[in-house]
Amino acid sequence: MNKLLAALTTCVGMVTAPVAMAADFPAKNIQFVIPVSPGGGFDTYVRAVAPILERHLPQSVNIVPTNIPAAGGARGAAQVYRAKPDGYTIGIFNIPGMLVPQIRGDSDLQYDLKKMTWLGSFGQDGYGVGVPTASPYKTVADLKALDRPVKFTASGPSSTAYSATMIATDMLGIKREIISGYKGSNDYVLAVIRGDGDAVIGPLPVMEKFVESGELRIIGTFEEKSSVPGAQNAIEMGQPDLSKLSVGRLVAGPPDLPPEVAKTLSESLMAAMQDPAMATWSRESGIAVEPGDAASAKGILEGQFNFYERYSKYLGPAN
Amino acid sequence: MLDVALTAAGNVFTFQSLLFLTIGMLIGLVVGVVPGMGGTTALAVFGPMTVGLDPYSALSLAGGLMGAVSFGGSVTSILINLPGGAPNAATCLDGYPLAQQGKAGLALGASASASSVGGVIGVFTLLLVIPISKKIVLAFGPSEFFLLATLGLVTIAACAPGRMLRAMIVGGIGLLFAFIGFDNVNGGTRFTFGLEHLWEGIPLAPAMIGLFAFPEMIELSAKGGSIAKDKGQVGLTGTLDGVWASFKYWKTLLRGSLIGTLVGAIPGVGGTVAAFLAYFSTVQASKNPESFGKGNIEGVIAPEAANNAKDGGNLIPTLAFGIPGTAEMAVLLGVLVLHGMEPGPTMILHHEAEIYGLILTLTLSSILASVIGLMMVRPLAMITRLDAHILVPSVIAISFVGAYANNSLPGDIVLAFVFGVIGYLLIRFDYPRLPLVIALVLGELAERSFAQAMMISGGSWSIFVTRPISALLFALIVMALTYPMIRTLLQRRHSVEEVS
Repeated sequence: MNKLLAALTTCVGMVTAPVAMAADFPAKNIQFVIPVSPGGGFDTYVRAVAPILERHLPQSVNIVPTNIPAAGGARGAAQVYRAKPDGYTIGIFNIPGMLVPQIRGDSDLQYDLKKMTWLGSFGQDGYGVGVPTASPYKTVADLKALDRPVKFTASGPSSTAYSATMIATDMLGIKREIISGYKGSNDYVLAVIRGDGDAVIGPLPVMEKFVESGELRIIGTFEEKSSVPGAQNAIEMGQPDLSKLSVGRLVAGPPDLPPEVAKTLSESLMAAMQDPAMATWSRESGIAVEPGDAASAKGILEGQFNFYERYSKYLGPAN
Repeated sequence: MLDVALTAAGNVFTFQSLLFLTIGMLIGLVVGVVPGMGGTTALAVFGPMTVGLDPYSALSLAGGLMGAVSFGGSVTSILINLPGGAPNAATCLDGYPLAQQGKAGLALGASASASSVGGVIGVFTLLLVIPISKKIVLAFGPSEFFLLATLGLVTIAACAPGRMLRAMIVGGIGLLFAFIGFDNVNGGTRFTFGLEHLWEGIPLAPAMIGLFAFPEMIELSAKGGSIAKDKGQVGLTGTLDGVWASFKYWKTLLRGSLIGTLVGAIPGVGGTVAAFLAYFSTVQASKNPESFGKGNIEGVIAPEAANNAKDGGNLIPTLAFGIPGTAEMAVLLGVLVLHGMEPGPTMILHHEAEIYGLILTLTLSSILASVIGLMMVRPLAMITRLDAHILVPSVIAISFVGAYANNSLPGDIVLAFVFGVIGYLLIRFDYPRLPLVIALVLGELAERSFAQAMMISGGSWSIFVTRPISALLFALIVMALTYPMIRTLLQRRHSVEEVS
């Protein structure tokens, strides 16, 4: 009888083994790849969520944030793409930052965002138009009415900030001249305040910091409903499509992640983002978190692909 | 302000905060000594571990760490010509020759006192300029950046007396290296030889490690013996003389500190530029410019003071606009965010006590690190007495680890090796190495800012003289280029008069 039981147990064990493996996930530490240097917004999100995510995983393991700042993020993205599809390597992705190189066809790009397993989203930041507080221009229409090109500050022509400026000014019918080469959003928003240019198109959270310090006025937001009092929204500017211009923070694993593993990661991530601790952090730090599940992440990605493919002529020289 | 400062002091001078300050300082000293590992990496690693601590303990740890890195990094620069981080490379120039002369104690002592006084001056300047911090940050635009970089680049002509042509050749090669990577103005990447690794340009830390440490080790292993040629006693007197030297050359100390604070206040320029500009300005102001690079103690004082003073300056853009001036400050902001402090212009209003606490820990740490460092001078200086067959393999191994530790990229090890070979060839054929470093540090900034200034002015060159700070910098450049000539002319006339 005992032998029979033992044999039965073994059989059951063998049949359930693969399931048990997935149920055992995670059995070791999970590497969370950040494809930029420490210190930026993407880094901050991962480092904030990591300890909370650890608590929501079925097994107690560590989440190890790993910065891979090379080739403008392409190296980190490739590392996640090529990782073994076991769920122990995931990464945070700047969309459209990592998507534009793929549409543009950058050389040696070793990832395909369409094939990756999307797990969730920390949300998207909208874009808007800002001018220095002392500027005589009060609305986007004022910029449009100028009989000279409006000087915008932005990072280099291969960057998404530059593409966003090109696309938005085209949609709005503003004659533009772009002063390029600034290193990152803080830098080009500060540049317009200094008087290097007339106006700037950039992510709203970055611009809001300078609004708070009294140096910048946001005259239009590319949102369906403007979050800035007194600023026109995308619909009022006659271009609802402007709301597609955004910076999304999406989380993905390598292609062909087993569905059970993907489900565990996605659900734990969602639970972590909805955790009261995350809400407290978000409130105190002033950094917004809009939890999105796997389906919403995939939806954001597809929407962005469609949008930027339409405007591929503005994506700058390939790297 | 005084009551807030007292509250901050009350919170810092608790057992727990002082404990974390000491831990942070020790970590800072260690990562400073390990080449390639700078404050940025260490803060990124240890910052998140402070979750769960109260904000003061976390800030004490961060401030302790940041205040100590610079002095830690100067130790290897002086002893084995291996810069602890890119900003310490300027300290190699005169620190290592001093070690070779058996005066490692003197150099370390000067570095310790210059670091701590520099740190204190940086913080005091910060406190003084908080009310006008916005104006300072906004006063520097692309035209000023270009002229600031040019002011550094023109020193190439003066940095190798008697070998100006050779210096310019090496400087040109350095500029070629500086332009590798993303073309920020026109888009795309250039001169990358199809290597993804070079997209972000030549990383400074591995390049400096290769350029400074490798050639010396090759030379040393060929010649045998030890670094210090004069095997006299490492007396404590030498160290105390070094400590005293910073005060004796107080003008150098003050100039270095102020340059460090100012450059630290300008976002996107960084500590390496600060240290080198402080070094060059000291060379230019000196009556014996030819004594630099051969073991002039002022060449240690200026960059070390600047390097520690820049931490105070770095806080200026952070407090004015909530933006980080450097990568290190960006990571610190990440730590503040973890503790629920929103970086932004209102941070100084909402978290005044914490900010003063941070400033206080930065000050305490730069002083404490130097005191601890001074106690270690004797055993540390013994390194320069080690025989080549023990020292060379260890230093080469540490260099490779350091090159890798910078960003955990294996390609950086190859890069350090390539620059090591370049450095050796330069020494072998009697070309100066310094111009390569100057060009590498400043080339990209100069090029990008020039293009931006031209876009802003619509192609008019007047932008470089019509803005007040630009005009001042322009005048300084003209002076730097013509002063040696005028001096020679005056001397000649003088001697002619004497003869007649």
